[in-house]
Amino acid sequence: MSTVRAPFAPWDRRELPGLFGVEESARRIGNYRWTEMRLFEALGGWVATVPELDVKMVLGRHCYEHAWHAELFTKRLPELREMNVERQTKPANAEFEAFMAAVVEPEAPELTIEKLVGVYRVLLPRKIAAYTFHMNATSTITDSPTIRSLNFALQDEYSDWREGEMLLQSLIDSTEKLERALARQAALERLMYAAGGVAGPDSIGSQPALQEATV
Amino acid sequence: MKRHLPESELARDERFRRNKIEDQIFDPRNLALAERDLGPAQMAVDRPAISERSRSLMHGIFVGEIQALEGAGRTCFDFDEADAPFALKLDMARQCWDESRHVEISCKLADHMGSDIGEYGESTFLYAAACNPDPVMRLCGVNRALEGLAIDVFSSMKAFGESTQDPVLTYCEDWMLADEVTHVKMGSDWLRRLTENDLERRDRALDFQRTVDKVFSLGGFRGESEENPVQITRRFRELAGFTEAECDELAAIAEQAMNEARQMVQLAAASQS
Repeated sequence: MSTVRAPFAPWDRRELPGLFGVEESARRIGNYRWTEMRLFEALGGWVATVPELDVKMVLGRHCYEHAWHAELFTKRLPELREMNVERQTKPANAEFEAFMAAVVEPEAPELTIEKLVGVYRVLLPRKIAAYTFHMNATSTITDSPTIRSLNFALQDEYSDWREGEMLLQSLIDSTEKLERALARQAALERLMYAAGGVAGPDSIGSQPALQEATV
Repeated sequence: MKRHLPESELARDERFRRNKIEDQIFDPRNLALAERDLGPAQMAVDRPAISERSRSLMHGIFVGEIQALEGAGRTCFDFDEADAPFALKLDMARQCWDESRHVEISCKLADHMGSDIGEYGESTFLYAAACNPDPVMRLCGVNRALEGLAIDVFSSMKAFGESTQDPVLTYCEDWMLADEVTHVKMGSDWLRRLTENDLERRDRALDFQRTVDKVFSLGGFRGESEENPVQITRRFRELAGFTEAECDELAAIAEQAMNEARQMVQLAAASQS
């Protein structure tokens, strides 16, 4: 009885072409790693500064999740010919660096809303967008190790986003707090707009990126 | 956010009441209690006021876990990678998650044992050990001394749970004990790695650990005699990288701390009479 079969099953619709070459995938992963590192450090630092016990415990858990994402990217970069991981670990641009500095800035115990808005209403949605674009745009065959890591990270991002948003909804219990949350989000969105996203202006794709598509 | 957050700025809600550990240890009333000769101080079901003592200890564990969480979190933030490499910060982030779970567990256990958040005071001396500006010292103070104390406390609480036939307490303490052994081992490994080429720094870190261990012996709270409510747990400490000589030294430090506390209490009592 013959065991000859087609190399790809009928339901396996993966394709070789992708928008990113090795260098572009590495560049973006370097931006993600830098972001994950600044984020887990900030979450760890904030634990001691928030008086709300439930928030304190959630930040402690999320701190590890983002550190673990940074570890996933640390392992992926050398596989993309970037042997010096630190060299590639950098913000997408000066504007994104300024955005992250603003996210991390609040310290006082009465600023829990400001801390959470920056992470859960501005940064995480942008991370989810950038990671999702990367997964959808890169080659599903040649860059599948990156896709696997992004999938792991996205699972955490979705659940952390939901958890942070629910904490915020429970903390915002007056119009004064609502105004604070809105003002904080607007200020940070302006900075993020200038940066263009976690991986810069083409974080979720743009015409130039499409024109440079590689096969 | 600034680096190096002092102990005085730890954020708490209004249920928490802060006190000083030295006020507890050197309380002159301790002498009167000691003179009543109530027998062994170990945690056991037939000891006087054991319900109250065990609830108080569980609350102490709860606030200690909060401070351990805060200390590990600050180590993620307070240092550049030149001083604390990414792999070390990753371990500290993992410890954050573990300590977060311990806060959840001890909070639920305190409720299980019938006490409320804030029913007892909080001394922040555990976090104080996590404020050292040198990451190696901090690791020794937190991962080897503080988490080492946690090994002793959880072992004693687990034994108490077994003696009182409380399966919930026994089960939870055993899980937390597994984590603490991991944390102490983490501290032992990083101490060795970070001071591989600087033995003088290693000696200073171990000196700092001795100081912290003495404070954490809490004037007789921990030791190896029946006068000590919490027993030094050699088996788990050795799993976590402590040598037999280090365990012997810790026992001697604990005994010294107990004797000094007794002298201080006697002096305080004499000055009042």
